[in-house]
Amino acid sequence: MGIPRTPVRRIAVLALLALAVTACASEKATGGSGGAAPSAVGGDGVKTGPGVTADKITIGLMTDLTGPYASFGKSLTQAQQLYFEQTNAAGGVCGRQLEALVRDHGYDVQKAVAAYTEISPKVVALAHVVGSPMVNAVKQRIEADDMLTIPQAWATGLLGSKPIQVTGTTYDIDMINGVDFLTKEKGIKSGDKIGHLYFEGDYGESALNGSKYAAEKLGLKLVEQKIKATDQDMSAQVAAFKAEGVKAILVSVGPRQTASLVGVSLAKGMDVPFVGSNSAYSPQLLPTPAGPALLKDFYYITAGTPISADQPAMKKLAADYAAKYPDAAIDSGVSAGYSAAAIVVDALKKACEGKDLTRAAVVAAHRGQSAWGAEFGTVMDFTTFDKPASLLSYVAKPDKDALGGAVIFKDAATSDLAKTYQVPVG
Amino acid sequence: MSKKVILSCVVLVVAAVAIPFYLEGFWLQAGLFAMSAAIGAIGLNLLTGATGQLSMGHAFFLAVGAYAYVYFAAEPEGGTHALGGLGLPTPVAALFAVLTAGVAGGVFSPIAGRLKGAYLGIATLALIFVGQHVLFNAEPVTGGYNGRAVPPMELFGFVFADSPELVVAQVPFGSLERLWFLGLAVLTCAALFARGVLRGRPGRAMNTIRDHEIAAGVMGVPVARYRAGVFVLSSMYGGLAGVLIALVFQRTVPDYFGLLLSLDYLAMIIIGGLGSVAGAVIGAFFISLLPQLLSRYSDALPLVAEPGSGGVSPAEASRILYGAAVVVIVLFLPGGLLGLARRLRLAVTRRLAPVHATRKTPLSPSSTPSPDTRN
Amino acid sequence: MITFLELLVNGISVGAVYALIALGFVIIFKATEVVNFAHASLLLVGGFVIARLHPLIGFWAALLLGIAGAAVVGALIEFLIIRRANVISHSVLAIVTIGVDIVLTTELTRQIGTDVLALGDPWRDRVLHLGGVSIAETRIVALAVAAVLISAFLLAFKYTNWGIAMRATAEDTETAALMGVRRGRISMGAWAVAGALAAVAALFLCVFPTPGLDRSTTFAAMKAFPAAILGGLDSTTGALAGGLIIGVTEAMMSGYQNDLVFLGRGIGDVAPFLVMIVVLLIRPAGLFGTRELARV
Repeated sequence: MGIPRTPVRRIAVLALLALAVTACASEKATGGSGGAAPSAVGGDGVKTGPGVTADKITIGLMTDLTGPYASFGKSLTQAQQLYFEQTNAAGGVCGRQLEALVRDHGYDVQKAVAAYTEISPKVVALAHVVGSPMVNAVKQRIEADDMLTIPQAWATGLLGSKPIQVTGTTYDIDMINGVDFLTKEKGIKSGDKIGHLYFEGDYGESALNGSKYAAEKLGLKLVEQKIKATDQDMSAQVAAFKAEGVKAILVSVGPRQTASLVGVSLAKGMDVPFVGSNSAYSPQLLPTPAGPALLKDFYYITAGTPISADQPAMKKLAADYAAKYPDAAIDSGVSAGYSAAAIVVDALKKACEGKDLTRAAVVAAHRGQSAWGAEFGTVMDFTTFDKPASLLSYVAKPDKDALGGAVIFKDAATSDLAKTYQVPVG
Repeated sequence: MSKKVILSCVVLVVAAVAIPFYLEGFWLQAGLFAMSAAIGAIGLNLLTGATGQLSMGHAFFLAVGAYAYVYFAAEPEGGTHALGGLGLPTPVAALFAVLTAGVAGGVFSPIAGRLKGAYLGIATLALIFVGQHVLFNAEPVTGGYNGRAVPPMELFGFVFADSPELVVAQVPFGSLERLWFLGLAVLTCAALFARGVLRGRPGRAMNTIRDHEIAAGVMGVPVARYRAGVFVLSSMYGGLAGVLIALVFQRTVPDYFGLLLSLDYLAMIIIGGLGSVAGAVIGAFFISLLPQLLSRYSDALPLVAEPGSGGVSPAEASRILYGAAVVVIVLFLPGGLLGLARRLRLAVTRRLAPVHATRKTPLSPSSTPSPDTRN
Repeated sequence: MITFLELLVNGISVGAVYALIALGFVIIFKATEVVNFAHASLLLVGGFVIARLHPLIGFWAALLLGIAGAAVVGALIEFLIIRRANVISHSVLAIVTIGVDIVLTTELTRQIGTDVLALGDPWRDRVLHLGGVSIAETRIVALAVAAVLISAFLLAFKYTNWGIAMRATAEDTETAALMGVRRGRISMGAWAVAGALAAVAALFLCVFPTPGLDRSTTFAAMKAFPAAILGGLDSTTGALAGGLIIGVTEAMMSGYQNDLVFLGRGIGDVAPFLVMIVVLLIRPAGLFGTRELARV
């Protein structure tokens, strides 16, 4: 054998050999066909890219099935799978069947980044990603990949990115509409103090931007209380609100904290209206001791139509979902997931009309729609991405007997304040 | 070094070089997570394994490294969310980031030097909570809850990013492929340095402090200085791991650097083997790759359910497995996976060459793993 | 002033619950020199048993079973793991308890799922008004129970055989063993007691003002770490003092958040740890902990 004796040289020779073998044996040896997203034209004349084959379109779901948002994530996932099934039964998209690729990140950033790296070469779009920290962590790559992504979070930080589509309003718009609701229907007037309990992080702080703006415009004084997601007992916060004499409280925290806040306030004789962001309420709270307090004077603002709404699309969804998943609880994730899946599938259908199912074409097709989703309640405009797709939000109220634990209290509307509000982007 | 050692080194190097040519991005990224974890774990093993100082704040030093790198390397940004930055060349920024982590460790050393055992462990817990508070609130530096984009590393004009395009042997080299080699190089250097520390005079001093602090003092080891020094060194390893993880993530987010990350690091050094470099590396790969493997192959494994189907999900299975692994290893495998590997090798060599082995074993007692001679 | 009093009373009553958890820590540490990071999962065990059983057998029976369940789990951890681990350093044992904690917490949170479980306590959301100060009844009960339990333990440590044996073990394990103290029994007993205390603490952490037991209950247990350290890991009085200091600090910092904006909002959560660091800088063994003196 002519292999040199010294170890260093031997290593070098073997490494070179490995490289040489590589060149012919690796599946990755594509020669780098001009970019990370190779595209091809199929037999039916449709240009395809990652996630699309001759008979299959793969759509990714990055969800939370084991972390703090597990129930929400489960509803989202099941509702989207339902939508894909129904689409497939109706013939699929572009002659292709839809397939969901689900990854659970458990609300862990590293797992989300790993999951994105794993599934991004195989999917054409992401029909939902739970959690804005997770979306933020892969934002650069989503942009580089031109991957149409529907985050299930409504922070303003997610705006301003072409492939990322925040559905409906952002938290700040909801809060502006909420303050407007308080002044119009709950007798809050200029000079009054209102409280805002919010989470550290983009959810709470997006919402705070809205309440700050509305309070300033309406001459209200805002009393802020920031907490962390791990805080459970709101007694100290209630004491602080009480000391300030607030007339109403805005709530941008998790359902548990909402329950504690509302329960403690009422028990301590602070009988004021509460207005929450859409993530502040969950029907699972109704059977707990805090249930009665929530039913009293708590409202939440949401752009997504509650599933109990008297609309044909929602009634059909509720029936179909209950038929497919008879044991599953119904919460806001069902309608949110279903309509997000519809957004992606409609973008695919439009892209198919242009005979181009590459990711960039899907995003372009999506961005061409200016009035989407009338059948789901609120109309959204997808043509700009530095503004929320809609300024309309519902006022919903918890209800024990309603499907999904809430009913519409006031129909979707937008306040004049929200129209003049400049959303901080980025 | 025996021939076998050289041979296994050769195999390792060849495999490491060849991997980016074959494996897809997912595996490369998992490997890079593991490399970063390995660097951090080596640092923690110097502190906890070799010197016996319990630290639950390792994630904090990763955060310092990651954020310092971004701050030093990024150009300042204006706008509604103004972000500061010094715009230094990236290798300099990385160096400064590691030094900053060291300084952070040094600032904590009045506490680290005085507290012992459990007290130190829980005191370092404070670093995590205070650290996350700062990450969320010091927006001009950290970007707050949004985090910040990480500028790609640039070494002598070579950029560790997806563009400009680079094709090596027909394989397109994106950021992961490029970072793989950077990660390998950094890990190798970090491992060799730590090995040098452990094998030399400082290593012996550290082990003596771990085994009997008073005896160490009596023998002339400057205990307080060593403890503070090891704390700083371990922080710098944490910082280096943070820089690498930031480069892989391409974005820093404050949620990542929490208590769970610190606990992961402790589990790594226990599972791999306390007090040694190889143990830290093995443990880091075990902990980083286990959840990825389980979720990737969840459909093929019994007992593990598909995500969302109601049973034990891959994420839960991997947490239970690694929690149990920590317990089982301490109970039955003192010396961790590294100790197990050594024992197996010993058993195999004995069986294959009984005469040779019986002659050789008494001459090298250090090849029997015992808790006191782990390095 | 009313606000201040309300915050103070609140802080004291939450602090009393932290003190119960911290007391469990201290007892385990005294008997086995192990820092028990699995304490959070003991808490979860107790709470889970109470939550699942109270609709079937009533609250009081469920409470008793919850306490017993957590005590048994604690004893089992000691018997199956801690006793058998043959390690040189106690930090390794601390890491082992982290492993135990991960396994138990993962499985229990999986069982709890996404539900919020009510504990079915008889106090519900009633509030007592004393002058202008209003305070939840659960909190008053918590304060009373904690006071009774903690003083009972202080007395037990001083006067019962068990207490003396425990103190002897903590002082010098080998000598105590030579004197006929059965070390295994002492340490198993300590773990069982800590488990029972954790279950009681779990009850008060999961009733009104908080909506119920769920996966995030374990985070509350984290606050007991600074409480135990602050008071001194081997001091029962310290556990009480530490718990109260942490509880009051947290309540005050959250309540007066608006006046402390310069520290960043949400300082209430970090405050316990900051207080702990400051105390440790001045007294490295905590307020009431015994300083380790070595004669060479």
